[in-house]
Amino acid sequence: MNAAHRDRIGDALTYLAMLVIFTFFAWPLLWLLSLALRTRREVFLGVSRFIPKNPTLENFAQILQSDKFLGYLVNALKLSCLSAIGCLIVALPAAYAFSRFEFKGKGAWMMALLSVQMISPLVIMVPLYRYMAAIGLTDTHFGATMVYIALAVPMVTWILKGSMDGIPKTLDEAAMIDGCNRFTAFFRVILPLSMPGIASAFIIAVITGWSQFLVPFLLIQKEALTPIAVGIFQYAGTQNDTSIQLLAAACLVSVVPAIIAFLSLQRLILGAMTAGAVKG
Amino acid sequence: MSMLNPSAGSGAAGAVTALGGRSAVNETPRVAPWLLPLILVLGIFYLYPVFDVFRLAFMRATLLDNDGSYTLSTLINTLSRPELGQILWVTVVFTGASVIAQQALGLVIALVVVRGEDRKLFGTTIVRTTALIAWVVPGIAGGIIWKMLFNEAPFGGLNSILRMLGGSPVQWLSDPHIVMWSVVLSNVWRGTAFSMVVMYAALKAIDPVLYEAAAVDGATARQRLFYVTLPQLRSAILVNMILITIQTLNTFDAIISLTGGGPGRSTEVLSLYTFNAVFRNYDLSVGAVLSILMLVISLGLAIVYALFLPKEAKS
Repeated sequence: MNAAHRDRIGDALTYLAMLVIFTFFAWPLLWLLSLALRTRREVFLGVSRFIPKNPTLENFAQILQSDKFLGYLVNALKLSCLSAIGCLIVALPAAYAFSRFEFKGKGAWMMALLSVQMISPLVIMVPLYRYMAAIGLTDTHFGATMVYIALAVPMVTWILKGSMDGIPKTLDEAAMIDGCNRFTAFFRVILPLSMPGIASAFIIAVITGWSQFLVPFLLIQKEALTPIAVGIFQYAGTQNDTSIQLLAAACLVSVVPAIIAFLSLQRLILGAMTAGAVKG
Repeated sequence: MSMLNPSAGSGAAGAVTALGGRSAVNETPRVAPWLLPLILVLGIFYLYPVFDVFRLAFMRATLLDNDGSYTLSTLINTLSRPELGQILWVTVVFTGASVIAQQALGLVIALVVVRGEDRKLFGTTIVRTTALIAWVVPGIAGGIIWKMLFNEAPFGGLNSILRMLGGSPVQWLSDPHIVMWSVVLSNVWRGTAFSMVVMYAALKAIDPVLYEAAAVDGATARQRLFYVTLPQLRSAILVNMILITIQTLNTFDAIISLTGGGPGRSTEVLSLYTFNAVFRNYDLSVGAVLSILMLVISLGLAIVYALFLPKEAKS
């Protein structure tokens, strides 16, 4: 009975903690949503109109009707998806090798991959801008995509290696006894089986690409090629307090695709991340 | 496309492996083609640029041209700039406060979520998902969102609550003594989910036998936390703190759209200072020297990380 009593107090405290945590993380986004649904008059009524009396979708309509914003979104989608595909093409064979082959210096290679991840993109962007300018790849999506790939590929390789480690090696061996070579075994047996890992790596790469700011800010000057993160930064710089509801709507539009991408595969992504995290 | 190359030569070796059983040694030379795309990408986009940064640091270069002469003066002038001390201090405070808060909060949330799951309480998944959603918000957007919350106009999402509760409004972003904590708060909001995930995974990996033994010995909840849970989490906490330290050091997009480094220089961290040197002042050599400074700090932390990594992950 004593134990049951203590459990109940514990439950109450847990609920209280969950409420505090939820409020802290949800409030900024709920506030953003609230502002985005308000009319210009209601914006200045503060928290008393947290649920707007006259909710309006006008702000979203205005944002999405401008060609500029649709362009930003399309560019961001294109850059992040292409770079995520590129990441997989580069990382899959390497992840397979790290997972299946024993070779000299493998541990060192894996560590080097992690160290690369720790270098700030700022460090490499200065020289990269000069190369890109010299070979005419500034103001192209191709140039930006290549840099996105380089920035995300170490993490993607680790995640894919982690998911391939979970597939028994005997499957490769069985496939090869049945007449596959290394490449066909990889392609026909391992790739289909690592689909969950590949899907989460893909989504993580897409989300990373969606948030890229530095690379497009530097490499892309033309507005028609600008992705959303840079677009919203420039838009925010031109807005003032009287149009805050528009900025809120624009901001929400830039955030929601990343959230949807994440929620679509939440369980898989967490699994893939923790598989790597527990092992270090 | 590049994946097609390895297939050409590996057929024979594959057959040999299959027939001959374990022949990992035979496969050693075959590794190269599988790694080639990765090596090329990292070589072109990381290795060479890093070398170039060192070259630029000893030149007088602007964003597009340089006169080709080498000098030590940029290095010396940059490192002896009077504001650098202030910048580094701001960086230390921002990084230190963010890392400690993210680690502590991440652990608390993970403990709460694990307890909620064990007791099958309602809303556990919602809490976890909400924290993770904040994490996928792009840095620039995160800065803009928090700027709206910190705003001192009626639509500021924090002051309007304070006013409703009868408190006095806070100058979140304009008071130089408060602004650092506002920036840390916004960074903790966005960054904590990573620590939560790592701590959650580490908690789940603790052998339940340890808790059974503790229960047999009559340990209280408090004793279980301090004598079982925390010691078991030690290496996970260490690894996590190093990783988030590096992430925080590299953060500047969330700051640039929140305060732009101001007021004055009160929130200008090293990465933002480097960004400004290159993209505001177009001074490439100074930017390169500052980049090297950032590189040295990150690599130092990476080495610490490697030293503390569990043995089995290294092999």
